[in-house]
Amino acid sequence: MSRHPATRVLLAAALLCGGTAAAEEPQASRQAVSPTIVSPPTLPGGSPPEAGDASLSPECRVPGSQLYTLAKLAAVKAALKDKRPVRVLAIGGTSALGASATYPVKLENALERSLPDVDVVMEARGLQGEVAGGAAERLRGMVAEVEPDLVIWQVGTHDALARVDVDAFADALDETVKWIKSHDIDVVLVDPLYTASLADDAYYSSIVRSVREVAAREQVPLVLRYEALRYLAGRTDKGEGHMLGRQFRLNELGLRCLAEHVTRAITLSLLQPDATGTVPGKATPAPVTRPADR
Amino acid sequence: MREPNAIDFWRGLALVTIFVNHVPGNTFERYTYSQYGISDAAELFVFLAGWSIGIATRGRDGVPEPRLKTVLRLFSRTIEVYRAQLTVMVLALAMIAGTALVLDNPLILEWHNAGTFFADPIQSIVGVALLSHQLGFFNILPLYVVLLGAAPLFVLLARDSRTMAMLLSASIYLLSLIEEWNLPSWPGQGDWFFDPFCWQLLLVLGFVLHDWNRESDTLRRWSRRLFPAGVVIVVVGVVLSVLEIRPDPLAVPEPRLLFTFEKSYLTPARLVHFLGVLLAFGPVYPMIAPRIGPVVRYLARLGRNSLAVFSMGSVMSLAGQLLRFWTGGGLLVDVIVVGSGVFGLGFTAWFVEWRSRKPGQRA
Repeated sequence: MSRHPATRVLLAAALLCGGTAAAEEPQASRQAVSPTIVSPPTLPGGSPPEAGDASLSPECRVPGSQLYTLAKLAAVKAALKDKRPVRVLAIGGTSALGASATYPVKLENALERSLPDVDVVMEARGLQGEVAGGAAERLRGMVAEVEPDLVIWQVGTHDALARVDVDAFADALDETVKWIKSHDIDVVLVDPLYTASLADDAYYSSIVRSVREVAAREQVPLVLRYEALRYLAGRTDKGEGHMLGRQFRLNELGLRCLAEHVTRAITLSLLQPDATGTVPGKATPAPVTRPADR
Repeated sequence: MREPNAIDFWRGLALVTIFVNHVPGNTFERYTYSQYGISDAAELFVFLAGWSIGIATRGRDGVPEPRLKTVLRLFSRTIEVYRAQLTVMVLALAMIAGTALVLDNPLILEWHNAGTFFADPIQSIVGVALLSHQLGFFNILPLYVVLLGAAPLFVLLARDSRTMAMLLSASIYLLSLIEEWNLPSWPGQGDWFFDPFCWQLLLVLGFVLHDWNRESDTLRRWSRRLFPAGVVIVVVGVVLSVLEIRPDPLAVPEPRLLFTFEKSYLTPARLVHFLGVLLAFGPVYPMIAPRIGPVVRYLARLGRNSLAVFSMGSVMSLAGQLLRFWTGGGLLVDVIVVGSGVFGLGFTAWFVEWRSRKPGQRA
C-alpha cells in the first residue's frame, strides 16, 4: 500500500483519535448490558457483567477484560513512525473448517483495516514440537529468517498435548519471549483454547496460567483466547448446532474471531503511551477469573 | 535372514530412539542420546540408509549390479517408502480426528500441523499426496522419498568417480545453506522440516564411505587415528547440550545457517558432531556385541526391517502421545507406552520376517 505521505500522517492521526475513542468505548457501554447475554460467566466479587467489545463483529463480542491484556509494542510503533511496512510473523496453526487457511489472510486484512495506510507483510508458520522441547529453538530460526517487527505466537497447545512439565514450559517460554524482545522485536502471545472437557483439567489450566504469567512478567500483550472462548461458550447460542457437537462449533466460532481478537489487542496496545505511564486498568493484566479458579 | 551386524544394530538403536523421542514429555526421553548432543538419531538413520544403498547395489562378490537394475531397485524402494508415508499419514489423521471426537475435544485437532488438514482438506489432501503437507513427527519419510528418488544420480556418478559424487553433493549442501534453499510446505507457508538439499549430503556420504571402505582400509585406519577427536567432539556436544549453549541465530554472521545448530538444515555443527559420534562409537559394536546377545539380536532385527518398524513406530508413538494426553501421563503410563512400543517394534520386525518366509517355512 503506497499513498501520499501527507495522507499517511492524516490517516495516522485519524487512527489514533478513532482508536482512542474505540478504546474508551467498551467502558462507556459497560453500563448498557447487552440483552443477548443470557448466562455470562460470573466474575468474582459479584461485579456486574461487562458487555462485549462493540468494535468487534456481533458473534465475536467479548468484554475487553476477558479478551486481552495490553502492553507496549515499541517495534511496531517504530515501523509505523518510519512509515515502512510492518512485518508480522504469525506462528501456530488452527483447526476449524476454513479458519486455518484463512487466519493469516484474515489477520493481515484486519490489521490493515485497523491501521489504515499501513502495509502489513504477513508470514505465517506452523511450529511443530513443544516449546519445552525443540520448538523454541526452531522459532528462533524462523525469527532469524523472517526478521519481523512483530511475532504473534499462539502458544501452549503442543506442550499441553504432550503434558510436558509446566515449569519447563514456562521457563522455556519466558526465555524465548525475552530473546525475541532482546532483538527489538515485539511479541503478542495467544493462549490455548477453552473447551468444556478441559475446563476442570488442573494441568491444562496451569499451562494457560503460565502463558498469562509470562506475558505479564515480560510485559507483552496477550490475547486471552481461553477466556474469550469461555465467555462465548456462556452465550445463548444453543440453537445453533454443529455436526460434531457443541465444543467443535464453539471452537470454530473462536477461530473465526481469532483474527479480530488479535487485531483488537494489537490496535489497543499501540495506543499505550511511550512514557512510563500506563492506561489505567489496561497495561496491567486485566482482573479476570483464572482458569484454575474454576 | 542375514546375521546381526553393526549397521543393523545401530539402525535398530536409531529406530528405538526415534520412537522414544517421538513421545515428547515422557520420562524415558531424557535417557536417549539425542538429549546429549547436537545431532540426534535422524542423522544416524539417514547416514545408515546411504551405507545400506552401497550394500544393496552390489552383489556379494562386490561387483556392482547393472546400472539399470540399480535405478529400478532405487525407484522401487522410493515407491515403497512413498506408500508407507501415505499409509501412516492416513492412520495418523484418523487417530487424531477419532480421539478428538471420542474425547469431545477440539484441542486435539491442533496436534502438530494436523489443524491445517482438518481446516482445509481440499488443499491439504493434495499436499499429502505431494508430500508438501507433513504432520509434526512424520517428516522423515518424505525426506527419504526425495533422497531415494535422487539417489540413482549419485550412485551412478560414484561408479565413475566417488570424488565427483561427493563434490556435487557437498556443493548442493553448501549452496543450500548459503541461499537457504528448501522445498516449500503447502498448503500454508514455510518449508520442509528436513531440507532434502542439505540432508542429501549424509545419504551420499554414507554411500561413498561404504564404497571406499570396501576397497581399502584407509578409512578404517584413519577412523582409528581420529578416535580421540571423536571423543572430544562427543564430550563437547554433551557439555553444550546440557548447558544449553548454542549460537543466537540473530547474532551470528551471514550466511547464518553456516553457524547455527538448526536441525532442518543439517548445519555444519550438527554434521561435525555426527561425524564425531561415528568416530567415537564406531569401535563400540565389536566390543559389546558378544556381551549383549539378545539386545543385539533385537536391535539388528529392527534394523533389518527398518521401513516397517519406522512406520509402525510413528503410528505407535502417536498413540502413545494421545494416551498420555488422555490419561494425564505419569510414570506408569510412560512405562506402558515405552514398554509396549519396544515390544511392538520387535513384533513388527518379527512379523515382517515371518510373512516373507515361504509358506512352508512358517512356523
